[in-house]
Amino acid sequence: MQTFPPNNNGEGSSRGYQTLGSPPEGFEQQPPNNWKGVFSVSSYTQYFNVDTDIVINRMMSSFYPIGGDFFSKIDANPDLYGLIWISTTLVFVLASLGNCATYLIQKRADSSASWSFDVGYVNVAACAIYGYAIVVPLAFYFLLQYLGTNASLVRFWCMWGYSLFIFILSSFLLVIPVEVLRWIIILAAGIDSACFVAVNLKSCVEGNDLTIVVFAAFFLQLALAIFIKAWFFP
Amino acid sequence: MSHSDTIPLHASSQSDIDEIENLINASVQSGPATVLPARPPSPPRIPVSSSPFIPSNLPPLPSTHQKPSFVPSVPSAPPPPPVNSHSSIGASGFGSPPNTLTEPVWETVKRDLSRIVSNLKLVVFPNPYREDPGKALRDWDLWGPFFFIVFLGLTLSWSASVKKSEVFAVAFALLAAGAVILTLNVLLLGGHIIFFQSLSLLGYCLFPLDIGAVICMLKDNVIIKVAVVCVTLAWSSWAAYPFMSSAVNPRRKALALYPVFLMYVSVGFLIIAID
Repeated sequence: MQTFPPNNNGEGSSRGYQTLGSPPEGFEQQPPNNWKGVFSVSSYTQYFNVDTDIVINRMMSSFYPIGGDFFSKIDANPDLYGLIWISTTLVFVLASLGNCATYLIQKRADSSASWSFDVGYVNVAACAIYGYAIVVPLAFYFLLQYLGTNASLVRFWCMWGYSLFIFILSSFLLVIPVEVLRWIIILAAGIDSACFVAVNLKSCVEGNDLTIVVFAAFFLQLALAIFIKAWFFP
Repeated sequence: MSHSDTIPLHASSQSDIDEIENLINASVQSGPATVLPARPPSPPRIPVSSSPFIPSNLPPLPSTHQKPSFVPSVPSAPPPPPVNSHSSIGASGFGSPPNTLTEPVWETVKRDLSRIVSNLKLVVFPNPYREDPGKALRDWDLWGPFFFIVFLGLTLSWSASVKKSEVFAVAFALLAAGAVILTLNVLLLGGHIIFFQSLSLLGYCLFPLDIGAVICMLKDNVIIKVAVVCVTLAWSSWAAYPFMSSAVNPRRKALALYPVFLMYVSVGFLIIAID
C-alpha cells in the first residue's frame, strides 16, 4: 500500500503525463475549429440539408395541430431554411397585402380615399416577424434548459419557423375588407398555429410538469396573430 | 537567358546568345518595362532560335541559310516583341499588361462601359451560352450591378411622393442584401457558385426591372404598371433562372429559385405600389 502511491504515481504520473499529452492535443484542436467555424459557410450547411419535397412536407404538416409528432419528424435533420424563408416571405406578404387591405378598408369607409403606400409597414413587419421568430424560441430554449429539460435550439427555431407558414396563407384571405370575416380568419389561423406550437412543445417536455410553459407558447402565438390583424389589416 | 542547356552550344550560337542578351539588357534599361518571355520556344533546347528575340533594328536571323542545324520550329504564336519601337506593349501577349495608370480617364471609362454592355448582352438577352453559366459571365464585374441598383433606388425614390429617402433605403437594402443572401442561400444548400460572379449576375438581371421602373415613373395608370411590371418581372426571372438552377442539386432547384423569385416579386410590387 505504501509503495502503491509512489510507484503508481511514478507510472501513473508518467502514464498520466502521456495520457494528458493527447487530450490537450485533441482539445487544442477543438476550440480553433469551433472559432473558425463561425465564419465559414460549410459549418452551416448541415442545417440546410433538405430537399424540396421534405420542405413541402414539413410545411403541410404545420397545418395539423393535433399530430404532435413534428419533433420526431425533424429530429434527424432539422433545417433553418424554413425559418429564414418563411419569415422573410411573411414580412413581404404582410407589408404588401397590409397596404392593399388598408386601402380597401379606407375605400369602403370613404370612397374618395386614394392609394398611398406606407413603406413603414416593411419596417414594422420585419422587426415584428424576425424578432418573434428569433427571440421567442431562444427564450423558450433558455427557459427549458433552466428548468431541466434537454432542449435543442435548432429544433425550436425550425418548429417556430414552420408554424408561421399558415399566416402567409391567411394574409391573402385577410385582404377581404369585411371586418367580421377578418376576425374569423385570423382567429382560426391563430388558434391552429398556436395549437401546433403547444402540442409539439408538450411532446418535447414530456414527463415534466411544465404546462405553464406550454400555455405561454400558446398565448404568445395567439398574440402574434392578433397583432398581425390589428396592425396590418385594420 | 539560361546557359545551362543540355545540348552543348555551337561556337557561333554562344556569340548569338550573348549578342541578343546584350540587346535585351539594353532595352530593359532604356525602354518601358518588359518582362522577358517566360516561355521559351518549345522544341529546340537552344534558346537562340531566331524569331522571338528579334529586336527591330537588327536584321532578322534567317534560320534557313545561316544556321542550318537549327530546327526552325519556332512556335508561330508569339510574335516578335516590339522591344524598342512601340509603346503598346500589351499587344503581343508578352510583357506586362497595358499601363492602366497612365491612360486617359476616358479610355478607362470606355473600357468599363463596354464590359458592362457586353455582360448585359450575355446575361439579359438570349444568347447561345445561356445554359453554361461559367461561360456566360466569365468577365464579371460589379460596376454594372451597382449602377442598376442605385438607378432603381433613385427611380423609386423619385416616384414616391412621401418618405422618399426611406423608399430609397428600403429598395437599396433589399436589393443589395438580397443579392448577398441569395448567394449564401445557394452555397448553404450545397450548390457550387462563385460568390462575386453570382452577385454580378443577380445585379445584371435587374436591368429589365430598371426599364419597368422608368416606364412606370412616366405613366401613372395602374393597369399599365401592372402589365409592364409583369412582363419585366418575367424577363428578369428568365434571365436568372439557368444560372441559379444549374448551381444546385436538381432536387433542391425550387429551394434555390424561390428566393430569387421572391426578391424580384417584392421589387416589382414596390415599383407598382409606389405612388
